[in-house]
Amino acid sequence: MDLSSKLRRFLPQQNDPTPPAAERVCELDPFLYGQEVSTPFGACYVIEEGWPLSKRHGHWTLKEALNSDYSNLSLFGQLQNSFDPRQALFLDTETTGLAGGTGTYAFLVGLGFFTSTHFVVKQLLMRDYNEELALLYLLDQELKGKDSIVSFNGKTFDLPLLQTRFTISRLGFEGAGKKKHVDLLHMSRRLWKHKLDSCSLSSLEAHILGVRRVDDIPGYEIPARYFEFLQTGDGSLLQNIVEHNVIDIVSMATLLYRLQTTTELKPEECDCSFEAEALAHLSLVVKNQPLALHYLEAASQLAEDNKQYLRVLRQAASVFKRLEQYERASLLWKKVLELSPDDLTTSEELAKYYEHRLKDLPLAEHITRQALAIAWQSRSPKTSALEHRLKRIERKAQASTR
Amino acid sequence: MHMSIGVESVLNKIEGNPRFMSNVTFRHTIPAEPGIYEPIPEFLPAQLGELLQRKGIEKLYSHQAAAVREVQDGNDIVVVTPTASGKTLCYNLPVITTLLENEEARALYLFPTKALAQDQVAELMIWSEELGGKIKTYTYDGDTPGDARIAIRSAGSIVVTNPDMLHSGILPHHTKWMRLFENLKYVVIDELHIYRGVFGSHVANVLRRLERICKFYGAKPQFICTSATIANPKEHGTTLLGRPVTVIDKNGAPRGQKDIVFYNPPVVNKPLGIRRSSLLEAEAVAHELIAAKIPTIVFTRSRLNTEVLVTYLRKSFHKLGQPHETIRAYRGGYLPKQRRQIERDLRDGKVLGVVSTNALELGIDIGTLQAAVLTGYPGTIASTWQQLGRAGRSNEASLAVLVANSSPLNQFMIQNPTYFMDRGAEFARINPNNLYILVSHLKCAAFELPFVAGERFGEVDPAEILDYLADQMILRKAEERWYWMSENYPAVDISLRSASTENFAIIDTTDGQTKVIGEIDRFSAPMLVHEGAIYIHESAQYHIDKLDWDRQKAYAREVDVDYYTDANLDVELKVLDVFEHEELPQVKRSWGEVMVVAKTHMYKKIKFHTHENIGWGNISLPEQEMHTTAYWFSIPKEKVENLDRGALQSALVGSAHLLGNIASLELMCEPSDLGVTAQIRSPFTGDPTVYIYEKYPGGVGFSEKLFESHERLLWRALSIIKKCPCPSGCPSCVGPVEEVGDNGKTHTSWFLKGVLDHGPEQQTTEVFTPTE
Repeated sequence: MDLSSKLRRFLPQQNDPTPPAAERVCELDPFLYGQEVSTPFGACYVIEEGWPLSKRHGHWTLKEALNSDYSNLSLFGQLQNSFDPRQALFLDTETTGLAGGTGTYAFLVGLGFFTSTHFVVKQLLMRDYNEELALLYLLDQELKGKDSIVSFNGKTFDLPLLQTRFTISRLGFEGAGKKKHVDLLHMSRRLWKHKLDSCSLSSLEAHILGVRRVDDIPGYEIPARYFEFLQTGDGSLLQNIVEHNVIDIVSMATLLYRLQTTTELKPEECDCSFEAEALAHLSLVVKNQPLALHYLEAASQLAEDNKQYLRVLRQAASVFKRLEQYERASLLWKKVLELSPDDLTTSEELAKYYEHRLKDLPLAEHITRQALAIAWQSRSPKTSALEHRLKRIERKAQASTR
Repeated sequence: MHMSIGVESVLNKIEGNPRFMSNVTFRHTIPAEPGIYEPIPEFLPAQLGELLQRKGIEKLYSHQAAAVREVQDGNDIVVVTPTASGKTLCYNLPVITTLLENEEARALYLFPTKALAQDQVAELMIWSEELGGKIKTYTYDGDTPGDARIAIRSAGSIVVTNPDMLHSGILPHHTKWMRLFENLKYVVIDELHIYRGVFGSHVANVLRRLERICKFYGAKPQFICTSATIANPKEHGTTLLGRPVTVIDKNGAPRGQKDIVFYNPPVVNKPLGIRRSSLLEAEAVAHELIAAKIPTIVFTRSRLNTEVLVTYLRKSFHKLGQPHETIRAYRGGYLPKQRRQIERDLRDGKVLGVVSTNALELGIDIGTLQAAVLTGYPGTIASTWQQLGRAGRSNEASLAVLVANSSPLNQFMIQNPTYFMDRGAEFARINPNNLYILVSHLKCAAFELPFVAGERFGEVDPAEILDYLADQMILRKAEERWYWMSENYPAVDISLRSASTENFAIIDTTDGQTKVIGEIDRFSAPMLVHEGAIYIHESAQYHIDKLDWDRQKAYAREVDVDYYTDANLDVELKVLDVFEHEELPQVKRSWGEVMVVAKTHMYKKIKFHTHENIGWGNISLPEQEMHTTAYWFSIPKEKVENLDRGALQSALVGSAHLLGNIASLELMCEPSDLGVTAQIRSPFTGDPTVYIYEKYPGGVGFSEKLFESHERLLWRALSIIKKCPCPSGCPSCVGPVEEVGDNGKTHTSWFLKGVLDHGPEQQTTEVFTPTE
């Protein structure tokens, strides 16, 4: 038996036989409106589209995004120094899979950048695997002109993948190198993780940016669609993918703007409790406790439910405690216990306050006993710590009466 | 020092015990041998020489010196010396020499298990510390935390891992390991003999991929391998590594005197041919030794037996007022620190007995042991020697006792000690070009880097297979290159040890517990663990309550019933292609490609002793189909014309039972790697035919070897029948009487003789040498 019949007999077969590859005619222009670009490493296909700055994308225009001051972005801890949107390259890839590793290719690299009149989206497409070098060459050229990269989850996904592609190409490209990198997913999570069930770009578009996608292709369908294009050369298969990628890039620009403007909100300007809470956290990162307390106050007034309200109160109490304003803290702890008598951590805090600050042992004993009763009932892991505390308070009380 | 009576006096005591001696089939003394030494080579860095001196190493064993020299000359080497002969220095010396001279240099160490890797790293850390901390050694395996991985990739001078991790974790992400691959000077492969059969065939392909990636980064590493004794280290090393190797097999380490005793437990049930449990007999032997204060290791064949034996021994020593800690279990999962503790306790005499599975056989050094007891023949001559070698350091006398169980393989070995002594170790076989395995790794390789037209993969020209994969839309060919075209990550779906992942677990649920008591391969599962089956394990009976086919689990409950079950397995075997064929007047034999379809329909309940059929049940499990390779032989039907059908049936069933068991002996494989079936009138040959087929799709080369060793195999089978003390058939030879009938032995030997009959001058071979 020869090898090919053995292969056919022994190995699992695809259900439908392959269309003859030799007849593949690659037709893109009527669908994608791009052109072939030559490079020293062969050609690939480039689609370029300019968005006038005045164009509205969801709630905001691109002009607003360009002219904003981004100094507050450093609050998120990703940037050491200033960020200039004119020097930024927005980047998003479409790939042959999500698994990563050396066999995953970025077949479409979408780039966005500002000119004085437009926001330009430039997409590099490999029409077949042999065009990867040209794609990487053009990407490297674009990267060279900018000092920062803006991505959505690019730190984990797009850039390591591109770095792998650059390494395998062995052309000595500089690639992303040591450029500044703003990952909008990380920032968005800081602001909106409590507000939104998901911080995916489409969820942010729907709930924060006011962008509605029409006929969008789900991400998980993209690799199979590209493979089908590779087999058939039918450019219409790529239309949705290219549009999907364009929206990704443009949304990043307005998302960046929205992140900045949200951080600029003063406590009294907040109209969303979750944002106020998140801004309090950001203030704490830069050790501005008074400002954090203002945001927390706003958050407590806007709180949507009991759960959030209690979370905010506890947070505010811990800020007061750190500021050594124990009395202020104790008022908040009492308020928490009024609403949530089973909260053992807060009971403990209050007991500590009575024992160590007020030196009111009977009160400390009372609250510890109350907590312990709950702890026993609920078999809480805090039981032994509370028992320990009670013993110590009793010992102290005895010593003082002697 | 130990307050032991010494090995000599224990031997005397044993010899004075007639009950014991009546079960001893063989005694042999291997005399002591002095070491052969050579000075430490001058080209080693002074720093390293000084360190060796500090460790009290003033000179090297000759094989260590030879290894260092050969590596210095640029050769790829395989060092083949016995257990505890200082093999690690053979690779650590050249590697550390290079790392001291070139800080950027890297080495990759491959060990077959995590435990071995950790042991090695602990050792290397000590070296590194003494050398000023320049040499950074890390293990990289499934347990390595994420943040440590980044440091290992860029800074690890020596990366210690296993082939599975190289396959699924490192090669598919080679760009992250650029520093390692660009500077890779050595690949060290310890325990080369473990890489045989299906596992070895996979690993050979992983090494082809490694070589491809090294080439991409411009590295040309040298290979340093060590192996236990196998018959064909040069051939095996060459096939596995895909390059010529220099073999260093002259052992320079000194050896103390070693006494070897073969012990066959007495028959307790003659009709069924069942012997007293090897576990209980091994316990008795170990008890004698430990009571005489001789540090002893007992090897068992399973983790469960280890536990049982520890419990038994502890109980009996507890009665003698000994603390529990005298006996310790030793498992593969122990950390180096725990092992060091056991070693210390052994030295101090706090521990006298260590009970282990074969984890220790694999190179982990446990220190001062004077006696080894093997519960059951370990399956191959090579691992038997390794286990026997665990006891006895360089200058002390030692004792090793092999306690056989009832299986044909055990019985053959225990009754043919000259075979064991003279034959030497087995051949290690691999077939890197098994189509299933090769295709799997070509996928992984294409994922790692596109294939370029004209590129070879090891010795293979992969173009045709790559084109096939492109037709299947797994790869895409563009401008004379094949690219990976799938969302999946191929290495995830390919397990190097697939034979074991396909196994079914047998779970004991007696008294509400859930404990795994055994494993069984997928192909045998419908026969032995169908619902309603009585499964016998360690001479206890278990009723199979439920078989979860999809999850590969059988739930069993201990019972005490007076019957056993026998399932009818219908194996249909169709020959697809014949690779080699020989036709003689008395036999036609071939090997080639076959399709095996197995299906069990029903089982019978058979009463003990009377063998009445007392009931039956249906089995409805999926039919199993497999393409594989097989070896088969047939006797011309004219030669059996005057034999009645029952007798012929009996002869064929007996031959199948026996050959299936001893073929694994010839092949250095597990008996479960092979299946056997016989056809009274084969549709393919038209004659009575016995087939031995491989249970891995595509086969890994066993069939070809069986074709080559046809005669030896049959002679050995005849010798077992002749030597088996049972009257007419038992599980240790042709199978139980219920299967082969009252004249099973006679029919089978008549049949086998007929197949071999081509002149009287051929009738003497080593296996007919009397043992008395």
